Amino acid sequence: VLLNFVPLSQTSMATFLGPNAVPNGIQRLPIHSSEPHAMSVPVNPSPGADSIDHGVTEAPYERRFSPYDFNGGTTLAIAGKDFAVVAGDTRMSTGYEILSRKVSKLHPLTDHCVLASAGCKTDVDQLRSVLDIKSEVYRHNHQKDMKVTSVAQMLGNTLYMRRFFPYYAFNVLAGVDAEGKGAVYSYDAIGSFERTPFSASGSGQSFVIPLLDNVITHKNRNDPKREMGAEEIVEIVKDVFVTAGERDIYTGDSVDIMVITKDGIQKQSFGLKAD
Amino acid sequence: MKKKKAPRRIRTVGDNCLIGASGEYSDFQSVMDTLEGMVQDDVNYDDGEKSDAKSIHSYLRAVMYQRRSKMNPLWNDIIIAGKDFLGYVDKIGTTYEDSFIATGFGSYLAIPILRSKWRPDLTEGEARALLEDCLRVLFYRDCRALNRIQIAKVQGDDDAVVSDPYELETNWSGFEATKGDMDGDGGW
Repeated sequence: VLLNFVPLSQTSMATFLGPNAVPNGIQRLPIHSSEPHAMSVPVNPSPGADSIDHGVTEAPYERRFSPYDFNGGTTLAIAGKDFAVVAGDTRMSTGYEILSRKVSKLHPLTDHCVLASAGCKTDVDQLRSVLDIKSEVYRHNHQKDMKVTSVAQMLGNTLYMRRFFPYYAFNVLAGVDAEGKGAVYSYDAIGSFERTPFSASGSGQSFVIPLLDNVITHKNRNDPKREMGAEEIVEIVKDVFVTAGERDIYTGDSVDIMVITKDGIQKQSFGLKAD
Repeated sequence: MKKKKAPRRIRTVGDNCLIGASGEYSDFQSVMDTLEGMVQDDVNYDDGEKSDAKSIHSYLRAVMYQRRSKMNPLWNDIIIAGKDFLGYVDKIGTTYEDSFIATGFGSYLAIPILRSKWRPDLTEGEARALLEDCLRVLFYRDCRALNRIQIAKVQGDDDAVVSDPYELETNWSGFEATKGDMDGDGGW
């Protein structure tokens, strides 16, 4: 959510003071939504924002209901030659509080496709329900599961359908495509998507993405790049979450890791610090 | 200023489900009207099926989400309990299940106590004592709380019951020592 800051010279004061009057020589930002150029800041800050504005005395604003909450957490997925690894931590928070240490961010949509979502949990749950229903309808109509490439497109379209009241879900889709290769897709909240070698989203993405840039896609390295198998990638994922959990307050408790191959999905769990 | 002597914050839904809410009391009353209507529909259908806590939780979550999507939420944080189920729904439809849940000030003061003291093999007496301890702490530290409490229990498919309100015993002697210099209000 972007705030449109209006230069002080353009704010208008209470009408009884006249158009150019400035009370006590101090210009005042509008407070109530009825005043021109008033900006309403939602009570819950947007995802990733770490400012909890206590400066009400400096710039008072009307507080109003926000349909979103940020429930925290980090997800990532890495595509391998014939597998994909997808992982997400299990902490659900609100504000500075932990609601639950055991909530999964991973949701299998088919036997070869897993959706990992961070952001606003209620929107994530709704998105999962909608996608489950669409997948079920597809299965009834076509007598088979959707391919990962199709699920990817469906998710993009579903998100865009809510372009003007978005699902606050930051998604990562992982699976094995029809040719047997690992597939990972990254999304933004309104459905822009792209197939990528790896993807990470959520509160800890800034800690995770640079690390994976170096280790997975071999950026800024001169040693020869080598192929890594599923077990090695899983060990890297565990280290990555330990790193993210160290600095990101919303990441921790435990990590669910799923390895997707043409034979199906294998799940494992790995403990993180609970602080 | 206290408005009601004994507001019914915990109620039964049918005979197998307990529901408790904090937040806007009138919205809770509206939620209860809807749920009581649902229970009556079950009875009228007369097919031997009745809604359990999990399905009520799921339905309520859908209701809360729809209202928030219309930017007109039911301003409540709700806990739903039944046989083998304990779940939470908030005003935007966030849900989770756990072995213990608290809303309002309880999430700050009671949850740490519960996280440390809860065990899967608590007896009923121990569980009640634990809840009373939490509510006592809340009475000490939340200036809007009272020591008049209710505890409700559900165990099987038809035995949900809410106790009458009763007073907790409190001991303020420990706070005498923190009197401080100004007015003996316990501040320091």
